[in-house]
Amino acid sequence: MKIKKVMRLIISTTAILGMLTGCSSNPEEGIKEGASATSETKSASAESTKEGAAPLTGVTIEFLYNLNGETTSDAILKACEDFTYETGIEVEAIMPGSNFSDTMKTRMAANQLPDIWTTHGWAVARYSEYLEPLNDQEFAASINPEIKDLVTGEDGNIYAAPLDMDLVGITYNGDLLTEAGVNVDELKTWEDFDAACKKVSDLGKTPIHIGGKDNFTIGNIFNDIAPTLYTNDNEANQKALLDGSFDWSQWDKAAGMLDAWNQKGYINPDCLTADYMTSIKAMAKGDVAFSFYGASGIAEVYAINANANIGFMPLPAKDNDSKQTLLVGEHFAAGVWKDSEHKKEAMQLLNYLMREDVCTELASVCAMPSGVSYVTSDTGKLAEYYAKYSEEGIQTVPYFDRAYLPSGMWNDLCTTGALILSGDSEGVQKATEQMESSYKEKMAQAN
Amino acid sequence: MKKKNFYINLFYIPAIILFIVFVAYPLIYGVRISFTNWNGYSQKMNYVGLKNYLRIFTDENVLIALRNTLIYGICSTLIQNVLGLAYAIFLNSKFKGRSIVRTIIYLPVMIAPLIMGYIMYFFVQYDGGAINDILHALHKAPVDLMSNGTVAVCIMTIINSIQFVGTAMIIYLAGLQNISVMYYEAAEIDGASKWQQFKNITLPLIVPALASSTVINLIGGLKLFDIIMALTSGGPGYSSHSLSTLITNQYFSAQNAGYASTIGLFTFALIMIISNLVSSYFDKKEVYM
Repeated sequence: MKIKKVMRLIISTTAILGMLTGCSSNPEEGIKEGASATSETKSASAESTKEGAAPLTGVTIEFLYNLNGETTSDAILKACEDFTYETGIEVEAIMPGSNFSDTMKTRMAANQLPDIWTTHGWAVARYSEYLEPLNDQEFAASINPEIKDLVTGEDGNIYAAPLDMDLVGITYNGDLLTEAGVNVDELKTWEDFDAACKKVSDLGKTPIHIGGKDNFTIGNIFNDIAPTLYTNDNEANQKALLDGSFDWSQWDKAAGMLDAWNQKGYINPDCLTADYMTSIKAMAKGDVAFSFYGASGIAEVYAINANANIGFMPLPAKDNDSKQTLLVGEHFAAGVWKDSEHKKEAMQLLNYLMREDVCTELASVCAMPSGVSYVTSDTGKLAEYYAKYSEEGIQTVPYFDRAYLPSGMWNDLCTTGALILSGDSEGVQKATEQMESSYKEKMAQAN
Repeated sequence: MKKKNFYINLFYIPAIILFIVFVAYPLIYGVRISFTNWNGYSQKMNYVGLKNYLRIFTDENVLIALRNTLIYGICSTLIQNVLGLAYAIFLNSKFKGRSIVRTIIYLPVMIAPLIMGYIMYFFVQYDGGAINDILHALHKAPVDLMSNGTVAVCIMTIINSIQFVGTAMIIYLAGLQNISVMYYEAAEIDGASKWQQFKNITLPLIVPALASSTVINLIGGLKLFDIIMALTSGGPGYSSHSLSTLITNQYFSAQNAGYASTIGLFTFALIMIISNLVSSYFDKKEVYM
């Protein structure tokens, strides 16, 4: 009987430990698009056997990237193949899908990083201790000022090469807003935005759609609201957020705004269980007026309905004395591992990606403004908006969480938002408390 | 003889090495991490003493996950055992098409739980879900079932139970087929009713099967992960997290690897204690033929 007991103990221990040592997948922090399949390729050696190809050097460098979408991924793979053709250096380009961020965290923990990878907004805050400074590279002097600060550390080192830059506002359906009698150019403050939502709601349509099953869609909202309420034109708050002295009781304004929209019925009733693609489809069908997704979301809408009239507007200001803003951040930016065995070759690839013709091609595929001054990308249907807001001098500000929150708080933006959307009567208060406690914990973690 | 034993013992070595590399070392490393506030990727690790262990007992999210874990574990076990035993008794009798029925009941076990979760999402989703389509056909208003944490927990418990009821059925079927027919014949001669036969013959003699089925289902329910990730990812907020999904959330999303490790060790201890208590209880009830 004793042996039997011991056997049971071992079996149950092993079964439980199997769970504890298992791996997982979870919604992605950095990838702000829908889930996509993992893709992997080794830039074909066949390319190098073509006439005129450089002989293979025997060196293979690993390139991990997080850019979703078949067209983008194909363009990256093509660029890697062309690089192999020109240099004889093979590239193993891997896109781990929605697990990108977790894969990178695991590899950082093991100090076994790829030779080159895309930094998805975290070039400085998360990856700088692993990245090779790029100040002495030729392209460094041409990085656009809007994005340069975001990839430059406090030590003055540039850690990532931005091929393009994310410029984010609120996505809208022009036809639906016209039907509701809303002129998007008149939505200067959140109060105006609220009034527009009322008009859309009165039409029987959904003013704001959230695909909260993919919880980054909830985090995006706070990321959009927070700078307008706390950090735009408020240097004291900017400083306080960075040094840990921010008064978190103020967070009830941001949380309260989301709660008010929810209470007024401006948000889709399935906001917690619908996914990102449901949002995209609803926008493509003309059932939704506003969504808080970036340019990639607009491209997805056009992929479903090429005739949709979709645009994006700057984020409204908190009041008439403040200015409208657009968020700017890294999109396709890449850096090189400082301890890479093939650092020289990885740097060669990075410079190849930043070459005018290659960079133009890649930034155009992403339909985003280029990150360097010597490249003008084709942004397609969005070009008119970029030109318009540039002419109007709309100010750009960094993503709130990347600039002012310690790494790891994205999860809190998502979960506290979900709590509020669930209709919890104390949601605003609990969200405020959680943000404060998590902020303090993360600040302690960083010190 | 000694030499022979020596060579036989060599066969243990691969298993011992695998156990050390994949179980013992991660466990020991996990204990070390649990005393730090490590974010899961940095090369820097600060020791915080027992802070993570004390936090577990005051963290509302852990208490919610603990409650949900017990619901997933205990309710799934109850449903799977009651249904599994009923199926087994039914399928222990001879009738045409018995093999097909057995296969159909067992079939969901072969589907990965994550896939099962995604399939079920199409039933319960608000927009275009099968349940809401039926309600629509009946001119009823649609319901967003998964937006309420309590309802989501109940639905996921049922999905998990239905998926793995086949395992319980197979175990009970094996147990039932081990019982000699002569016991039932003797009982019938003595005038025992069907219920009396079940209570006094079947039930005591399938205790080993009951023990195995209960422990397997209990561990399966207590570590439920995939279905939750597919259907709610633990949301809304933290309301449908199990301890397993909370560990993932804290490790990767919240970047609290130290705390996640502490929750992992707590979960390990919890499942270990519960499964061994259940196992000991059934050991005492075992009847030998």
